[in-house]
Amino acid sequence: MLLLVLLVLLVLLVLLHGISTPSDPPGVVTLRQAQVHLPLDPQQPPKSVALPHILDDESPAWWGRVVYTLPWPEALTYAESAHARLALLLPRVGPRFRVLLNDREIAQMGWYAPETQTVLATALPHLVALPPPLLLPQATHNRLIIEVWARPLERSGLAPAQLGDHDTLLRRHRQLEWWQVTGAWIMATLALFVGVLALLLWRVLGERLFVLMGGAALALMVRTVTLVLVEPALSHELVFLLHRVALAVFVGLFLLMLEDFFGHQLRWMRVGSWLMMGLTPMWLAWAQWSQDYTVVRAWAGGVTVFALAALVAIVVDRMRRDDLPFPTLAVGLVAMFALLTGVRDFLVVQLDFPGDGELRWLTFGSIVLMFALGAALVERATGWARDVQRLNASLAEAVARREEELRQAFQRLRLAERQRVVEEERRRLMRDMHDGLGSQLVQTLNLVRSTEGGVERASIEALLRQALDELRLTLDSLEPMEGDLPAILGTLRRRLGPALEAAGLELRWEVQDVPALPGLDARGVMHLFRCLQEILANVVKHARATRVTVSTWQRDDQVVLSIEDDGIGLPPMDKRPPGGRGLRNIITRATKLGASVRFYDAHPGTGIELAFALHSSPPASDSTWLTRQP
Amino acid sequence: MSGITRIYLIEDDAAILRFVESALRQRPDWRLVGHSDTYAHAEVMAPNSLADVFLVDLGLPDGRGEDLLRQLAAAKPDAELLVFTVFGDESRLIHALQAGATGYVLKGCSERELIEAIEHIREGGAPISPLLARMLLKQFRAAEATPGLDGPTPTLSERETDVLRLVAQGYVNKEIAQRLGIGVATVSTHIKSLYRKLAVHTRVQVVRAAQARGLL
Repeated sequence: MLLLVLLVLLVLLVLLHGISTPSDPPGVVTLRQAQVHLPLDPQQPPKSVALPHILDDESPAWWGRVVYTLPWPEALTYAESAHARLALLLPRVGPRFRVLLNDREIAQMGWYAPETQTVLATALPHLVALPPPLLLPQATHNRLIIEVWARPLERSGLAPAQLGDHDTLLRRHRQLEWWQVTGAWIMATLALFVGVLALLLWRVLGERLFVLMGGAALALMVRTVTLVLVEPALSHELVFLLHRVALAVFVGLFLLMLEDFFGHQLRWMRVGSWLMMGLTPMWLAWAQWSQDYTVVRAWAGGVTVFALAALVAIVVDRMRRDDLPFPTLAVGLVAMFALLTGVRDFLVVQLDFPGDGELRWLTFGSIVLMFALGAALVERATGWARDVQRLNASLAEAVARREEELRQAFQRLRLAERQRVVEEERRRLMRDMHDGLGSQLVQTLNLVRSTEGGVERASIEALLRQALDELRLTLDSLEPMEGDLPAILGTLRRRLGPALEAAGLELRWEVQDVPALPGLDARGVMHLFRCLQEILANVVKHARATRVTVSTWQRDDQVVLSIEDDGIGLPPMDKRPPGGRGLRNIITRATKLGASVRFYDAHPGTGIELAFALHSSPPASDSTWLTRQP
Repeated sequence: MSGITRIYLIEDDAAILRFVESALRQRPDWRLVGHSDTYAHAEVMAPNSLADVFLVDLGLPDGRGEDLLRQLAAAKPDAELLVFTVFGDESRLIHALQAGATGYVLKGCSERELIEAIEHIREGGAPISPLLARMLLKQFRAAEATPGLDGPTPTLSERETDVLRLVAQGYVNKEIAQRLGIGVATVSTHIKSLYRKLAVHTRVQVVRAAQARGLL
């Protein structure tokens, strides 16, 4: 894998080298010398210069119109001028120029454009075909002149030109154009794509690495675009500034990103990067002010040296820690490659080392680095996603465990609640047994003990029967009746009916189905039983009635139970038994049931009405009757 | 009704045996033809007796009275199977009815009440309580709501439903007969027929369960 990366980088390096090193194919001669003079300043004597000739390196007198006279090479001859198909290839010339063959203009760029317009012909390689009619019969008599309109700080001047066979140079020109222009546009598009993608990822993940990467990629895009624009809509100064600030920002953010990616806390590197980005505009402003290209050169050298030092520091640090997993190693390698391209660009462009200075290797080196880092980041993001998944899984497990605990706790609670209910029910039953069956049995026992010479059999039988009925009543109350009032009344009727009949009372049953009453649970049923027992006992003892009518019906959102007799009616106050305990008991029990009680005259006889509320709280019982004077 | 009624008592309490014997002396044409005081004894002897009425105590010392009822219902389909119980608690009674019982008598009744209960049932009557009626209504409705599980489910006729509903509201047979415009005896017939339905349904289940276990 690592070997593959190395191989790819090596192939790219060889390819770049092959493209950017001018060589002389057959039929082509490279012109490395030129005669130069200043047409506007005749005082300056013409001189011979080596190409590339950078006008920034000359005195300010040379920063205007310059005329290069190219000597026709001896080796380039032709038999007949009319059939000579020759061309001149200018890899770098300008920023404005025109070409004259035998004093006739055959090509120009920006020569006649207004002063204010920004023209950077240096961005492109130019191929100029030499028109055969203009050629002189004797090849060496031809006068080839290139006029350049210089601009300070733009590295104005002329690079070695190639003269020779038109078709050969056309191929070479296409090749140069592809790498220099098309390649740059492709790289700029890629950088834009990577930048936007990184910023989108940053928005989602919030990871600092991605915003650094996005910024670096966008800066790279700006830098690459300003490299190939011939007629930008901006002023010279602005393009100059933009191009170099973009480079500084790209290098700075990239170093910050590498520092972050490699997980080091190299403080000097962080501070240096920010310092570089911050100082670049000021430094360039100074260069603009002083019009001294050396200042620009120093800036470029500074950036290159700083990047070199930072990268080496990172790699050395890593190697010392012996912590170089494949992604790190690959990114380090590619970063080194990118740095190499940057150093080469610096050497060729700024220090005039041999090579085509317009073909910036850094463009390609950066984009490779961008992709390597992108791949490493994707790898890291995938790792995060896996971590998140694992965390989620363990979280889900924890939640499930908690849920289970909660469920168990809830179950324990429910069990405790059930035990509580059972306990309460047990107490109620004991109380009922104590008050009902217990007292019955005690009464019977006392009767047997106290009676001298044998008890009357019938009275014991009656008492025991009563006790049994009592017990049955308690058991009835435990049957699942689900608040069904008619069934509860029916059950009571079976227990009490025979006694009523024995007492000579006719029972009229006018019960009809009513909605279930939630208040009538086992306890409620028992209260209702006792209530009705009391009412019926009162009727038997006091009312002197012949008939009792039991009826149920629904009235609005109440269920009504009424018991009416046809007896003598209620006695006046002074003739009532003292205390009126029976009636009080009825009211107390009814309240526990959630029912209100109303006594009324039934003409003849008395009626008692129990009203059970189906939804809201029951209306207050009418107990005024107890004390009411007739 | 033929004159002679043969009664078989399955009961472990000797006092009850004496009570039944004493009660039967009032009816010379009735005979106590057999008595078992354990489940084991009753299981062997009772199905072979010629009794018309079986009085079965649910609380035998060595087995469940319901199981005995099930066997007797299969062996003696025409006999009356009366549950002899102290409390007449409906939750337990309904299981007995499903096992094949056709009625119940409360222990603690007088001799006269026992004779009346047996006479009543011999004449086609069927004891029932409001709670029992309520439970039966619920049971049949539930069976109708989930059909097909145990083969053909028994359904209540409209009349039977009316009768059960009135019983559940606390009305006695005489009142029901008046309200529905039928004879008192017909009310009992309806009740008895739905007891049979209940037990038949149970018998089908038993046979199916037995088949499933490979017993039949």
